[in-house]
Amino acid sequence: MGKVRKFLRERWRYFDAALALLVIVGSLVYIYDLLVGSRGLDVAYVTRHYPLYLHAVFTNVYATTIAFIVGMAIGISVGWLRTAKTVPLAKFAASMRVEKRERQENPTGSEEGRRFLVVLSLLWYGTKYVVRRIGDGFVEIIRGTPLYVQILFASSFFIVFLPQYVGEGILIGIIALAINTGGYQAEIFRAGLQTVHSGQIEAARAIGFSRLKAMRYVILPQALRLIIPPLTNEYIGLFKASTFLFVLGVQTEISYIAQHEGFAGDVFEIFAIVTAIFLAITVTLSLIVQTLEKRFRIPGLGIEQIRRPRGVAVAPRAA
Amino acid sequence: MIRVEDIQKHFGALHVLRGITFDVKKGEAIVIIGPSGSGKSTLLRCVNLLVEPDAGKVFIDGVHVNRHGIRHEWVRQQVGMVFQSFNLFTHLSAIENVTLGLTRVKGMPHDQAVEKARKLLARVGLAAKESAYPAELSGGQQQRVAIARALAMDPKAMLFDEPTSALDPEYIREVLDVMTALAREGMTMIVVTHEMGFASNVASRILFMDAGKIIEEGTAEDIFQRPKEDRTRAFVSKILR
Repeated sequence: MGKVRKFLRERWRYFDAALALLVIVGSLVYIYDLLVGSRGLDVAYVTRHYPLYLHAVFTNVYATTIAFIVGMAIGISVGWLRTAKTVPLAKFAASMRVEKRERQENPTGSEEGRRFLVVLSLLWYGTKYVVRRIGDGFVEIIRGTPLYVQILFASSFFIVFLPQYVGEGILIGIIALAINTGGYQAEIFRAGLQTVHSGQIEAARAIGFSRLKAMRYVILPQALRLIIPPLTNEYIGLFKASTFLFVLGVQTEISYIAQHEGFAGDVFEIFAIVTAIFLAITVTLSLIVQTLEKRFRIPGLGIEQIRRPRGVAVAPRAA
Repeated sequence: MIRVEDIQKHFGALHVLRGITFDVKKGEAIVIIGPSGSGKSTLLRCVNLLVEPDAGKVFIDGVHVNRHGIRHEWVRQQVGMVFQSFNLFTHLSAIENVTLGLTRVKGMPHDQAVEKARKLLARVGLAAKESAYPAELSGGQQQRVAIARALAMDPKAMLFDEPTSALDPEYIREVLDVMTALAREGMTMIVVTHEMGFASNVASRILFMDAGKIIEEGTAEDIFQRPKEDRTRAFVSKILR
């Protein structure tokens, strides 16, 4: 008895995993049985048609990945832009007054030079303001409208303005997805950047880092770790959303489902194949990301997942 | 070494610094005391231009630094700073915290930077902790790593912004010891602190600040035993109790 208990205690993690798998598979089998149990699974259909679906999934992965990477570029730039502080006009005017007083006390350089500087900095702050507001608007529009509508909009845009590319459904789809995920990723990056404590920037600046270098060596390494989970979420969401590309004539799982719906008997087989493929991909992905997260975790920081059997004393860390 | 002339600073409608002037000679350690909100931290940040003064002049080693044509990054390499909340880079180990500025700001080769960082960590008594991450260190240890990080840039002077205020009492001593040793070695220092023992032992002068002005200036004895101003007397009697 003691031996069994000891074995259980040491291996409980595996039992835990096995049990979880059992529950998931069990409930799937139950649902399946409920739906097709009386009729039996059309195995021939599955073996005949699954390559078709694999091909569709490949298209999805391809479109999603390219769109995600392009979207990341958009997301980083727009997200960073949205962390920019806009300078209130009053403050700008105040610094101009200071500048003027300094000039009067210590007149060096020409009046024209001074005016030039004023115009230059006005332009700089103005551009910053406008660009920041454009970023805000972009994010709100992307977040505020359905992806389906956005894809239809992209398609209409090409039909009206660039009819020569209308045949390239996948290209249009990737563009639409990239812009969409760009908006969402902008928010993820903004949140990540803003979550890094302001003291970190101050400390970096205090040892002589420029703004850009502080971003590169201090802020981004911390922010990127923080946003791994929401980025994974975004990728999985985008991956599933990419099935919408069927409206552009891209062959995706949904288009096969739509085509085959007429063969009433096989509907659940189709769903079984699609579910299996999607789960296989998303679960693998989240496992990969989990190991990534563990690999890049900052020691001692955040909530550590405690992976030890109960009742086993852990030696305190030597001080 | 450091000279500040008639510094003014506003945060919005708040007038934080109302004309501050003082001088720190080479090798001198100055302690600034004063009630919270009196502008001590802002003053320190004006010296290394983390906060840009609205008016007034800052000189470091005779160079007027808060004017066009002087890079703030350069100024900050001349003056090290230690913060109340340590602000160690959380994603880097103790030694990486020290080497980051050396390799990325000064462009020092990696091996050389590591060697220098090891020496500095040994100097603050943390040679054994070089691969620990900030979250694995006690507050006192983190603050000592932060001091090593600032020293790595070979600053001409050091600024300390309440370096022991966020520490548990048992860790205060180890940080103050490092700072005292630093002062004895002749480092020019400006320290904002309420550690009266440290101020009495180390400070060549004490400045008392209130409401954005320097109210009184003198040796530790002057300020603690014979304060001239009423406000100084009131404040000192509160913190000495």
